[in-house]
Amino acid sequence: MSDIALSIPRARAAQSFSATRVLRLIQVTCIFIIALVIVSPLLLLVVASLKDDRFQILADMGSFRAFWVSIPTLSNYAEVGHLSGELAFGRYLINSLIILITTVCSGLIVNSMAGFVLAWGSLRGRAVILSIVIALYVIPQESIIMPLVIMVSRAGMADTFAVQIVPWVASPLYIFLFYQFFSQLPKELLEAAEIDGASFFRAYRSIFLPLSLPALATVSILMGIETWNQYLWPILVTQTDYARPIAVAIATFFGQDSIYWDRAMAASVLMMIPILGLYLAFQRWFVSSFIGSAVKG
Amino acid sequence: MGKRLLLSLVLSSALAATWAHAADKAVIQVMHQGDPGFVAAYGKVAERFEAANPDVDIQFIYAPHDAYNEKFSAAVVAKQLPDVMELDAPFLANYVWSGYLQPIKPLIDKDLLDDMTASNIAQGTYPIDKDLYAIGLTDSSVVLYGNKKYLEAIGARIPKSVDDVWTREEFETYLEKLSKLDGVKWPIDTFRGYGIKTEWITYAYGPILQSAGCDLIDRKAWKSESTLDSDACVDALAMMQKWVKNGWVVPQSAGTNQFFAEGNPAALALGGHWVYAEAVAAMKDNIVVLPLPKFGAKGASPDGTWIWAITKTSKHPDIAAKFISFLLKDKEYRAYVASQSGYPGLKSFAAESPLYANGGPMAIAFEQASKTAVARPPHPAYPTITSAFMQAVDEVFNGGDPKEALTSAAKKIDEDIADNDGYPPFGDQQ
Repeated sequence: MSDIALSIPRARAAQSFSATRVLRLIQVTCIFIIALVIVSPLLLLVVASLKDDRFQILADMGSFRAFWVSIPTLSNYAEVGHLSGELAFGRYLINSLIILITTVCSGLIVNSMAGFVLAWGSLRGRAVILSIVIALYVIPQESIIMPLVIMVSRAGMADTFAVQIVPWVASPLYIFLFYQFFSQLPKELLEAAEIDGASFFRAYRSIFLPLSLPALATVSILMGIETWNQYLWPILVTQTDYARPIAVAIATFFGQDSIYWDRAMAASVLMMIPILGLYLAFQRWFVSSFIGSAVKG
Repeated sequence: MGKRLLLSLVLSSALAATWAHAADKAVIQVMHQGDPGFVAAYGKVAERFEAANPDVDIQFIYAPHDAYNEKFSAAVVAKQLPDVMELDAPFLANYVWSGYLQPIKPLIDKDLLDDMTASNIAQGTYPIDKDLYAIGLTDSSVVLYGNKKYLEAIGARIPKSVDDVWTREEFETYLEKLSKLDGVKWPIDTFRGYGIKTEWITYAYGPILQSAGCDLIDRKAWKSESTLDSDACVDALAMMQKWVKNGWVVPQSAGTNQFFAEGNPAALALGGHWVYAEAVAAMKDNIVVLPLPKFGAKGASPDGTWIWAITKTSKHPDIAAKFISFLLKDKEYRAYVASQSGYPGLKSFAAESPLYANGGPMAIAFEQASKTAVARPPHPAYPTITSAFMQAVDEVFNGGDPKEALTSAAKKIDEDIADNDGYPPFGDQQ
């Protein structure tokens, strides 16, 4: 074989290799740009919280200066931390954490139990109940909020932690999510458990629940975000700082006459950290849940 | 064992005594809004009040500004109205008509009542029985702030008093000139950044319509159709739409301070009296305070602010009134409000506010109160009036047809009034 004959495939291979590299470079650049666009609001929030002048924050909006701080300062965080009395953010942060943890933990138990019963339970009219659960999901929260306020105030629950937890523990969306997940698991698991003498509850607790980590992670994150960001409901049903969450406290920075962007940004960053932690803790299962949903037909 | 029992008894007695003492205290719940400065100031006043009145416990209920009405509605349906509530003056008629408030004249210190300015009395008075239902330390107004350098560069005439204001033609000519001036990104900031969840649009833009010769509602017939959608109102709103279309107005997305932001991108600002403190801190003496222009035959400016009332459900109206009186007289609170360029609603507070005195930098704002101030319609349908008008303005600023938007708003208002049988006795007054 001549040298020329050998060099042609090599040249083609080199050409193809180079084309692959260029394509990959374009892909990486695109991904990087998209990631930057997605992360930019978060970056803007953090950068703004490190600026010491609230007017400067607004002046910088709309330009690249919004993403840059020449002399970063933690003074906004210090100010938020030093607020006391009705504005004690530490108190609000702890309140939010109590509400978050209790709601998510109770929500996981209640919704997964309901989902399991709907998927494998022997009660009559399961299909009808499931339809009702799905139908409940489309009712907007705004339409039931005032009747709910009347109910909880008559029940003497106003200005408590319970009033911010109990009404939101059971959710049609999360019941349906669990139902869907459990119903996709093989029925043989339940039958095997029954043959071994396990009760229905034991089968749920010892077999199905441990297998539902992706569903638990998904519900934890979605429910966590929803609970953490609750704003109107706590305003309506709480009176004092006793049980009020941080989302309400941040609203003090958005006054009638002026907006304290600097402190609002710092408080928002503080507010973001726990929910980011929750996401990072569960993201492996959360992502696998989405991948699983995509793969299953 | 005996010692343990004795100790338990002593502790139980002490706890019981403490609890009994706490139960003896009269609890006064105070619902309010405000930024961190005001929240802190109220807290300190309460501490001083409690020190002077050890048998009273002041409990604050904070409601964020943008969710204040929702919180109030929830308190009403839950039958948990506070003793004292801060309310936005134009909503007073609705609250009194609905039976939530009680007259405060017999309860508030007489020297404070005698100290009220005419506009303060007006904002707290229910037009049907002419009784006073609320009182405040302050009132409010909107002026036109100008960047001195920019105005000098275009050779603009600087009005010296309310009688000497810019006409519509002058104002629009200056806007056009400013739009072409180096350094000016937007000729005017109308504080669209406040959005449509606050009272700003009705409060600040309503007087532009009134100055142009119309109103949000006919204040005798209490009908909006043929008034809000009249040619004068449509023309005034079309004029404002033109400013927006021409790019003369700071967009909503740019926030609320482009007049005094770094680089001064806005040359003029149609801003509340509260803007002054921040603007002067940023711009020093490069700021002029002008009265609102005339957009028709007469001038018009807004008034009214957040004032204090006592609810009908209060178990201790006398103590509630004592707290309001204490708050309005508190020296440190007054000093704080003055530092925020608070607009005087009490004569004694005006005397403590050189900003608004004759020759003071905001004297023109105070002059407007007596010469051109037009209160927002004191009618129980006001919540509907303001919401319909705000939606119409928002629609027009986003390119909608002014006639259609105002007609739709007028219909909504009249429908609400009809649905409530004219809110008697309002309808019976004709």
